[in-house]
Amino acid sequence: MKGIPTVLITVSPEVSAQMRPPRALYPKGFKVGNSLGLPGMRELQKQVLRDALGLLTDDTRPGSIKTIEYPEYGEQYEPPRVRKSAA
Amino acid sequence: MTISRKCVPFTPFERELSKSTIAIVTAGGVHLKDQEPFNIADELGDLTYREILPDVDSSQLMVTHHHYDHTDADQDINVVFPIDVLRDLEVEGFIGGIANKHIGYMGYTMQLKAMYEGTAREIANDIDKTSRADAVVLTGG
Repeated sequence: MKGIPTVLITVSPEVSAQMRPPRALYPKGFKVGNSLGLPGMRELQKQVLRDALGLLTDDTRPGSIKTIEYPEYGEQYEPPRVRKSAA
Repeated sequence: MTISRKCVPFTPFERELSKSTIAIVTAGGVHLKDQEPFNIADELGDLTYREILPDVDSSQLMVTHHHYDHTDADQDINVVFPIDVLRDLEVEGFIGGIANKHIGYMGYTMQLKAMYEGTAREIANDIDKTSRADAVVLTGG
């Protein structure tokens, strides 16, 4: 198997970054369960998917996560954080 | 930040999107209503996955996952599994086509080794050998 190019849409960028995804998009402020946006917002969903797929042809750096704001999404949510382990 | 030693390998993409077929792999617990639901009663998580074909009626998809609020996905599965969105992008000519197979699994497990060395490899092999995908979009919940 040669491998398959992947692109991740993540709403938990700090958590996802630990795995250094080859290409990843963080739609800023989208809550968990809304990777593509809100129900019925097809134009927003299409734009998020276009932006994600576009990373396949961009000169991306593995491990970097591209953040894009989509004001039409509305309310912004704080993404889940990585739990700090005890020293 | 601690970076896992099990990083995802980088595979170059050397095609044109408009001539490429795309598959979806979601950890959002998506499956067909007539497929066996994921076992949320098992506190260790469910290591199985479900195959979803490209001509699926999105109204026949559902979510079984108890580690995120899937109320919005229950209304419109495209918020975690954008199959209708992919269809729109195919019509636009943004992508070339939709792959022959897509995958849903429940992205919560306490069996990380089994997920990483078992399920994840099985999904990758399945997509590689049977989906005819040129690239994969990954989504969580």
